[in-house]
Amino acid sequence: MNTALSVLVDSTLITFVFALAALGLAVVFGLMGVINMGHGAMLTLGAYFTWFATTAGVPFAPSVLLAAVGVGMIGLGLEHFVIRHFYDRPFETLLLTWGFFLITTEIIKIVFGTDLRTVENPLPGAIVFGTVVLPAYKSMVALTSLLILVGLALLLFRTTLGIKIRALVQNAEAASLLGLNIGLTYKMVFVAGAFIAGLAGALISPMLSVDPYIGNIFLVRSFFVVIVGGIGQVLAGTLIGSFLIGGSETLFALFSGQVVAQTIVFALAIVVLRFRPAGILRTR
Amino acid sequence: MRTKSNLTITTCSRRSVLKNLALGAGLTGVSLAAPGILRSARAEGPIKVGLISPLTGAWTVYGKAHSAGFELGVDEINAAGGVLGRKIEIVVGDSRTEPRIVVEQANRLIRQENVDFLAGTFSSAERNAAGPVVTSANKVLLYPTFYEGQEQEYFPGVCNKNIFMFGPEPTQQVWPHMEHMTKNFGKKFFMIGSDYVWPRVTNKFTKEKLKEVGGEVVGELYIPFNTPQYDSALRQIRESKANIIFHTLTGSDTVNFRKQYVAAGMNKDFVLWTVDDEEVVTSGLGPDVSAGAYVSFDYFMTIKNPNNEAFLKRFRAKFGKDALMNTVGVAMYNAAHMSALAIKKAGKVTTDALRENLKDLSFEMAPQGKVTMRGRDNQMVLPSYLMKVRQGWTGVGDMFEEVQHFDSVTPVDARCKSLPL
Repeated sequence: MNTALSVLVDSTLITFVFALAALGLAVVFGLMGVINMGHGAMLTLGAYFTWFATTAGVPFAPSVLLAAVGVGMIGLGLEHFVIRHFYDRPFETLLLTWGFFLITTEIIKIVFGTDLRTVENPLPGAIVFGTVVLPAYKSMVALTSLLILVGLALLLFRTTLGIKIRALVQNAEAASLLGLNIGLTYKMVFVAGAFIAGLAGALISPMLSVDPYIGNIFLVRSFFVVIVGGIGQVLAGTLIGSFLIGGSETLFALFSGQVVAQTIVFALAIVVLRFRPAGILRTR
Repeated sequence: MRTKSNLTITTCSRRSVLKNLALGAGLTGVSLAAPGILRSARAEGPIKVGLISPLTGAWTVYGKAHSAGFELGVDEINAAGGVLGRKIEIVVGDSRTEPRIVVEQANRLIRQENVDFLAGTFSSAERNAAGPVVTSANKVLLYPTFYEGQEQEYFPGVCNKNIFMFGPEPTQQVWPHMEHMTKNFGKKFFMIGSDYVWPRVTNKFTKEKLKEVGGEVVGELYIPFNTPQYDSALRQIRESKANIIFHTLTGSDTVNFRKQYVAAGMNKDFVLWTVDDEEVVTSGLGPDVSAGAYVSFDYFMTIKNPNNEAFLKRFRAKFGKDALMNTVGVAMYNAAHMSALAIKKAGKVTTDALRENLKDLSFEMAPQGKVTMRGRDNQMVLPSYLMKVRQGWTGVGDMFEEVQHFDSVTPVDARCKSLPL
């Protein structure tokens, strides 16, 4: 019983951490159809910016914000100078963003070096209820992730901007005929995606080693989250995908080794896609 | 479709023809030049050593000390006039932390660069990849890393007469400290490691000794590389009621696991004993996360002896005052000096001469104190230190405090089909 409860808590926390890591990708992929292979690099940049700011003496919370804004600005540059010229060519954007990933990783190595860096945990310790252990910082990250998801939901479904974005997703041509500035809206979505990716990288950095490959760990998993959840299902899809890819691993690891659990999870993702090719929330 | 497939076939065959031609030409060249001509032409030139280091890729963090140790050794030898009147020249090959690339680099260094012998490779997987290459080309490989010991099953990566082990194996790194650890902290072990050969075989040997002192393993877990979340692992450890966590995770996974372990407040409830986290990784962990952990190796920068002090002075003069050294870098340093000593003793640079003269060779000036290459199984006899990571350390100078040490630990014989190698 106690184990069941602590497994539940663990998998909930992981689900939200994964959702946060994948959300930037889900926004860009789901709303714009741009396959952002540079997502991993954006996470890495977020982590490095946080490391850089905290080492320079900036407190943790402003560092996270700085990192997210910094990555958002880089996203803006990338969108303005490159991506916007290729919106109707998904294959080219895939290659371009992959190029962005490679270049960024090498630049990170040159600028920050390849040594292992650490961002100190700003909320050390854990809250213990009997056998259930809630690591304080991870719980905070999960909560932030939930808040961002709720905020995004409000933005998409309760504001005029949300209506515009959804109109764009449904039918870009019709939306533009009705006077919607497509270029600007795409730009805002892409920058928001980059901002969220930077924020995720920043928030994840105290839990992991900051190295030039930190984003890669999450890149493949994020793609699975988005595809399993269903492209375009930015909120519910991301959550369900995160549970299947992240949370369920904790469940499977109860009965088998970690290696087997990870294999089962990815196999399960493939099975889901076989029978629901458009993601778990969509039937085609 | 048809034309396309035709085209592919044509290119393919053209390519393979070219390749065969090149290979043929290369072979003829070698066989023509082989005995007299080539050797006399090279007599005046430097002795060439192929250095295979993980300079990029996942284990770059370890690569710096790895190559720096060897470079320092070679610099010292050359400054003293070289060996047999010849300088030593290093030809570097980057393994990119991939066994596949190790094979490419080893082949390139041997066939194209005509190196006299090889030094390096980092992980056991890399060494095992280099095994077949050095066997077929009959070249010596000097291997520096702490590793899982030699078992016939993993031939030609181990139990290979051409491969010399300069780092400690479990019966040197783990066994000497088992009694101290179990007596002080309890006999229940939880083993967590990365999922590859080194952690698995190291744990196998550790279990042998643990059984001998009456201990038991209450959990054993192998983690795939690049795992971000350790919640289920931490829960299993918590529920196992273990006394000691025996830790063989590597690279960034070490950092990821240890950060989450400390964040969950578990460092207060368990003793952690790691056989992976030398100066570089412990620096990466930072003082808060690493404090209180037990670490065992043959060498630490904090070791107090005249050899080490002189060594660190030279090392810092060349690589800067903040540069990090570790067991692997020191093994590379010893490998450079000992190969030079062996060549000097032999009076010539051939694989046979190097092999024969490395056997039972001692090196007095090793940073960890006198070391000897055991001839029977090409395994170095080394000291063994158990250290504890100090609370609130500020740098490598005060990172580790000594718990106990043995000046010279003789490992059990390699488990190879036939000894001596």
